[in-house]
Amino acid sequence: MNETNKKEETTTHKIGIYLWIWGLLFVLSFFSYMVDWYQFQGLLRWSLILIFMFLKAGLIMAFFMHLFWERYALVNVLLWPMTAIACFIFLMVAEFKYTLFTRLLYFFVGG
Amino acid sequence: MSEDFNNNKIIHAQSSETIGGASGSPDMDYVRPAETGDQDLYHGHSFITKWIFCQDAKVIGVQYFLLATFTGIIGLILSWLMRLQLGFPGLAGFMTAEHYYQFVTMHGMIMVVYFLTALFLGGFGNYLIPLMCGARDMVFPYLNMISFWMFFIAVGVLLASFFVPGGPTGSGWTLYPPQSILEGTPGSGWGILLMCLSLILFVAGFTMGGLNYLITVLQARTRGMTLMRMPLTVWGIFTATVLAMLAFPALLVGSLMMSLDKVLGTSFFMPTILKAGEVLEYGGGSPILFQHLFWFFGHPEVYIVALPAFGIISDLISVHARKNIFGYRMMVWAIVGIGALSFFVWAHHMYVSGMNPWFGFFFATTTLIIAVPTAMKVYNWILTLWRGNIRLNTVMLWCLGFIVTFVNGGITGIFLGNVTVDVPLSDTYFVIAHFHMVMGIAPLMVIMGAVYHWFPLVAGKFLDEKLGKWHFWLTFLGAYSIYFPMHYLGFIGVPRRYFEMYDSPYVTSAVGMNEFISIAAFIVGAAQFILIFNIIKTLKTGKPAGHNPWKACSLEWLTPSVPPEHGNWGDRLPVVHRWAYDYSVPGAKEDFITQTTPPSEVANTEVEKT
Amino acid sequence: MSDPKIEGYQFKPGFSGMAHDTASDQTMFKGVHWGKAMMWIFLLSDTFIFSCFLISYMKGRGSTPVEWPNPSEVFGLHVFGVDVPLLLIAIMTFVLITSSGTMALAVKYGYEKNKKMCGWLILATAIGGLTFVGMQAFEWSKLIHEGVRPWENPFGAPQFGSFFFMITGFHGTHVSIGVIFLFIYAYKTFAGHYDEKKRGWFTSMKGDYVEIEILGLYWHFVDLVWVFIFAFFYLW
Repeated sequence: MNETNKKEETTTHKIGIYLWIWGLLFVLSFFSYMVDWYQFQGLLRWSLILIFMFLKAGLIMAFFMHLFWERYALVNVLLWPMTAIACFIFLMVAEFKYTLFTRLLYFFVGG
Repeated sequence: MSEDFNNNKIIHAQSSETIGGASGSPDMDYVRPAETGDQDLYHGHSFITKWIFCQDAKVIGVQYFLLATFTGIIGLILSWLMRLQLGFPGLAGFMTAEHYYQFVTMHGMIMVVYFLTALFLGGFGNYLIPLMCGARDMVFPYLNMISFWMFFIAVGVLLASFFVPGGPTGSGWTLYPPQSILEGTPGSGWGILLMCLSLILFVAGFTMGGLNYLITVLQARTRGMTLMRMPLTVWGIFTATVLAMLAFPALLVGSLMMSLDKVLGTSFFMPTILKAGEVLEYGGGSPILFQHLFWFFGHPEVYIVALPAFGIISDLISVHARKNIFGYRMMVWAIVGIGALSFFVWAHHMYVSGMNPWFGFFFATTTLIIAVPTAMKVYNWILTLWRGNIRLNTVMLWCLGFIVTFVNGGITGIFLGNVTVDVPLSDTYFVIAHFHMVMGIAPLMVIMGAVYHWFPLVAGKFLDEKLGKWHFWLTFLGAYSIYFPMHYLGFIGVPRRYFEMYDSPYVTSAVGMNEFISIAAFIVGAAQFILIFNIIKTLKTGKPAGHNPWKACSLEWLTPSVPPEHGNWGDRLPVVHRWAYDYSVPGAKEDFITQTTPPSEVANTEVEKT
Repeated sequence: MSDPKIEGYQFKPGFSGMAHDTASDQTMFKGVHWGKAMMWIFLLSDTFIFSCFLISYMKGRGSTPVEWPNPSEVFGLHVFGVDVPLLLIAIMTFVLITSSGTMALAVKYGYEKNKKMCGWLILATAIGGLTFVGMQAFEWSKLIHEGVRPWENPFGAPQFGSFFFMITGFHGTHVSIGVIFLFIYAYKTFAGHYDEKKRGWFTSMKGDYVEIEILGLYWHFVDLVWVFIFAFFYLW
């Protein structure tokens, strides 16, 4: 925007890598759709959904957003804050279970 | 830099090692050349582009400072009105319970978000970050300008809520649903909506500013300025900005969902509610979710206010005690550690909320862990003062006042961090005393110290010392008179957020104390106007300060002109050779060595290698 | 992208390189443009926004004692006499991933200063985004037609409607903003603003092809968020 890099970056990647990732994303999306199509249920469904989701997210971030080629200084700055989110998720799982427990207790059992 | 630089050992500067890794170069003053070209700046020409829609970070900083101070004064007046009611119930005839709750809410929100956050990050951040990092300006000056005007609109929306039907929201600054949007709470219509809108605008505007601060620190430092050579002020503001960028999203989401609950009638936070025997349309939502979102923002927010204060105070103490800051690296890591930990402690505000009871264990543990780096900082401030050449001027007085109030507020924080102690004390005046000490008075002391310290840079003139000392002693003693008795009120069980005590058993022992607190509050509030008077007087008749009046080492004092012009550095950017704390170096000609002094000029001194 | 060349600075690989970069002067992210660094940090902040939305959704869905509607049926379409589950969502995902791919290529051609290819690919991305927003509008109107509202829904828990409209609405807003910028950047690319380093309309700063990459980061992020929404809202 407002900065003039002394060195012009001219290095780019072969088009093949993008086409490969593109294709993989379609395949993975197709697989996750198939999870619903075949109506897998329970733990199998959830783990398949998560696996395909993280694979897709990882491919997009690593190659389309060039994170694979970035230096570790940037990659680590971006990924470490996710521990706060992970903690938030972890605690909220415990919290919704507790809320559900109290609701079932008071609404239906009658505390 | 090679690995052996990591030890902060003392060496003689004559060694042939050079900075920047160009080993073998005979020139000991060598610093790696600039990676990027000089910054392309837009210079304003007319009055409007120079002073109003200005892209110069220093002007934006002053704009932030003035607007934040203006809202802060409104917050101060609201606190006067509250104290008037608490100390002398019924004296102000217009004061109803509704008004009281609205004043409590607006006082809290204004002081935390629109005063302290905006002032530390927007005001001091904008002014000091480019100067202290040796940059010409913030990296995105246009975005920076928009950031201020978003803040301006946010303040406008907030203050507009005083004039809408129903008045501003009166649900307490935490805005807990379901009561905040239900009829019966003052300002449950327009008031809460404008509050949510104002917060969303503030977050949007702050994000623009925050990106500027972060990228300026990370990517636009001058030659030789490593992260571990930055003044602690920059570290504090930088880390606080990181927290803000990651914590404000939760506030944004909470505000948005609450507005939807209010406007569209969704039930994100609204459980099934019986009102006068009738079931409301709401149902199935989770009020505790809002509390989690709010405090996921709210606790880092405490450190958004505290970390810049920690950083600034470190610099002020070091300059005015003529001694390097004790344990610089420890201080940096403490700031970063506190910042990281602050995302894992939020529910210690919610011990009595009815959340999963197991959380108490987790959050009490993390809360007590966070006290460790905080205590390290306090020790380091004291050890910096130890055997320093202390100049007991106004700035130093504010610093000492800060340390005392902060330790006091911090220790009560350890009480409240423990579940078993917190449960009887929560929602009493003990809590009020705790958080006003630790994040009200303490950061305010830092702001005042910083104003007295940096005013000669901003305006080129010294503030009056005599008035300054009056200002300090009135504020310091007065603040203790306000908040120290409140601890006692909390212990005897006086609940917070009560409009009046009526004939409760507290009356006998609490009435006199409440009157005393109120009178002290009026005096302390009035004492703050001494500063405004002092500034006006100084601008008219103050004595000129000249270059580097405090004999400081850091870059902001080394600009070619005082006050610094747009672009800060004239033709050439400074080159940094050392950290910002080379005070009283044995063997040096003067008792300070500026950051730009090359090693060859101080060859016979024992400087610390940084 | 190989490491840029910086005078007087030696790059090191991996984690020791990270420590080396962090400890050095001037910049922490070596060779990274200011705008690109800014976009990354902004996206990090935005990630927290969407995370908060999805966490709220998790908390809301997990703690409701009322039955949650089966998304597979709610979002199914009846085509040629057959019920196909999640058909529209599958097509939307397909469209968004397609546009993500074209954007990645646009960035590549931008760096090669191939004005024509870059411009056409951005335009293709914009059209993909527009299609996505259009299909979302169709999906919204279909659900509203079936009686789903933010405050209620005929299939079960009222929070289903609330979270659905809020989260997809917020994501749709991101897509729409992206589409607007894509059209602007397509114009700027074709007009040659990046070749002649023409100054921006508002910021008055010089144009550069790196802006395409910055926009690309944003667009891929929008796609990334959709991956999560698709998994948690439609499949779970």
